[in-house]
Amino acid sequence: MSIVKRGNLKNSWYLPAILSGLGITFKNMILNLFGKRKMLTLNYPEEKYEYSPRFKGSHVLTVKKDGSIRCTACMLCATNCPADCITIIASEHDDPSVEKYPIAYEIDTLRCVYCGFCEEACPVDAIRMGPEWQMPGINGANFVHDIRQLAKRPNLKGGVVSVLDEEERHKAGI
Amino acid sequence: MPKVHINGKEIEVAEGTRLIDAFLQNQEEIAHYCYHPGLSVAGVCRLCMVEIEGNPRPQIACNTIVQDGMKVTNKSESIKESVKWVLDFHLINHPLDCPICDQAGECELQEQYMKFGQYDPEMGERKVKKRKVVDLGSKIVLDTERCILCSRCVRFTDEVTKTKELGIFNRGDHAEIGTFEDKPLNNNYAVNTVDICPVGALTSKDFRFKQRVWYLQDKETICPGCSTGCSVKAYYNEKGYFRLKPAFNEDNNGYWMCDEGRALYRHANKEERLLQAQVKADDGSSHMAPGAATKKLAAEIQGLDKQKVAVVVTGQYTNEEYDQLISEWLKPAAIQQVYHWKNKEDEWGDFDGLLLRRDRNPNSKGLQDRLQKASLVNDWSQLEKNLEAGQVDCLVVIGPEIQAYYDDMQDKLKLFQKAKKVIWLSSNPVENLVADYHIPMKTYLEKDGTFVNYSGKEQKIQKMQNIVSQALSLSDFAYLIAGKEIPLTGAAS
Repeated sequence: MSIVKRGNLKNSWYLPAILSGLGITFKNMILNLFGKRKMLTLNYPEEKYEYSPRFKGSHVLTVKKDGSIRCTACMLCATNCPADCITIIASEHDDPSVEKYPIAYEIDTLRCVYCGFCEEACPVDAIRMGPEWQMPGINGANFVHDIRQLAKRPNLKGGVVSVLDEEERHKAGI
Repeated sequence: MPKVHINGKEIEVAEGTRLIDAFLQNQEEIAHYCYHPGLSVAGVCRLCMVEIEGNPRPQIACNTIVQDGMKVTNKSESIKESVKWVLDFHLINHPLDCPICDQAGECELQEQYMKFGQYDPEMGERKVKKRKVVDLGSKIVLDTERCILCSRCVRFTDEVTKTKELGIFNRGDHAEIGTFEDKPLNNNYAVNTVDICPVGALTSKDFRFKQRVWYLQDKETICPGCSTGCSVKAYYNEKGYFRLKPAFNEDNNGYWMCDEGRALYRHANKEERLLQAQVKADDGSSHMAPGAATKKLAAEIQGLDKQKVAVVVTGQYTNEEYDQLISEWLKPAAIQQVYHWKNKEDEWGDFDGLLLRRDRNPNSKGLQDRLQKASLVNDWSQLEKNLEAGQVDCLVVIGPEIQAYYDDMQDKLKLFQKAKKVIWLSSNPVENLVADYHIPMKTYLEKDGTFVNYSGKEQKIQKMQNIVSQALSLSDFAYLIAGKEIPLTGAAS
């Protein structure tokens, strides 16, 4: 950005501009003090803004009806992720009807751009973007979310149940 | 030579060519599952339909021999329609398993559907459920539900290995492949059935769920497992090497490779490698960078009597490396005591009838030729005599890359210990090794070069990616030990 300097006399005087600025501040202070109109700022964290239900916030890993993780470790979310922030380690499940499941599922939320492509790529409704957006942490490690945090954090109250159930699908003959 | 018109193009093919081969040789797309060029024709999938002029109905291309003047097309509407419906039939009972199926990404069913199918399924019936995750021994997992009964694997065990373990059981939509009473499929060529399976019915336990195939790159190289020198493809990404698969090589291994060879990517991965040179010091052993350690060693052996320096070489390095070793170090330093370590040489002629040879070195022949040319051929008993007599001050062992095949390793270690100073070169740590210097080497996946197989055929290996970038190739070692610097270009590494 270049700075344009206008060399006329009016601009070289700074006091008039400062005084007019102070005037605006003073006017708003009076208006706000006597409550003539609603203030635009929020008193965070006591007051919070309400986002629309379609807001793409913190990721949620859904669970099956029995509470186990829905994800099948197909890696489509990790493949589709433009920020390359999803790490999955797949393993063999003891139950042959499950066959494959993730033993580790980590999202590096500092790399994540919250685009929602993972949610779109998922063939089994295992990952969703939830409404939460307050995910503070003390150091970098706090921002790498693992299965426990993604699926069973206290805010989820025991986990979000996936709409796609394998058993129902099998019963329907698909 | 018969001439045929394929989709309007006139081409000439050899006598007795199958129509499907004529299509494939001319890069014409043709849908097919059950046809495999290395196996007999079964004609069970009915997917390679073509229209032959003068023939009222579509015919399968795999079971039709080319005749002179044939006019064939598979681009007509009726053929497209029939292929689409045959595909629909194949997919009737195929489960929607793609997310957990290991074959996804290299699945022919997926490919064919995207190319020739793309219909809305019109099947009202329920899918027939079959057995999943059937354990077929230590190598293979069978999923009968995913099988589309192309019978490639059955034909493979019938025709190639002639072990006949696999078969198709039951009839109609209950038909499934399997072994009798789920007996393990453990012959030494069993994993080839996984390669030829067009769907995910047979999956390899070794590779299962390790990586999605679309994360892997592949490059062709030569298997270092024995003197046959099969062409193989190694699959790798930034996390390491993940599997070996056979690559077509007409006059060597055809389409196949043995299961023992498939394990030969593991020793190249970081977990199993020697990362730093180990140098014995007065207060235990210390780690050094390989190049620096070799330079230190070069200074130490400078003053030694060259008559008392012995070199033991194994046939697991490339021609280029042997050449550099001889021309850069052995010849200028006038080292005469060079010995070829042959493991069980009397059995080297053994052959399992398909691919595997008992000489487990990929380049024995290359080494022998080179030693002969440089007149450095010495008898092994001479080394033993010298060691017993305490005549060896410094012994450089250019050790085997794949140690598992050297079953006399521990005996030899004891023998080599009689030298005053032992220098060992290998890519992996060696059990019970006490050496003054242990210098890490590159594996066959990390260097370019040439192997000479049992029949004298020279074949190239390719560099893919470095796992231990500091490791030296034998040529690098030869330069450093001779007191020179590694040249920036021109060195085979």
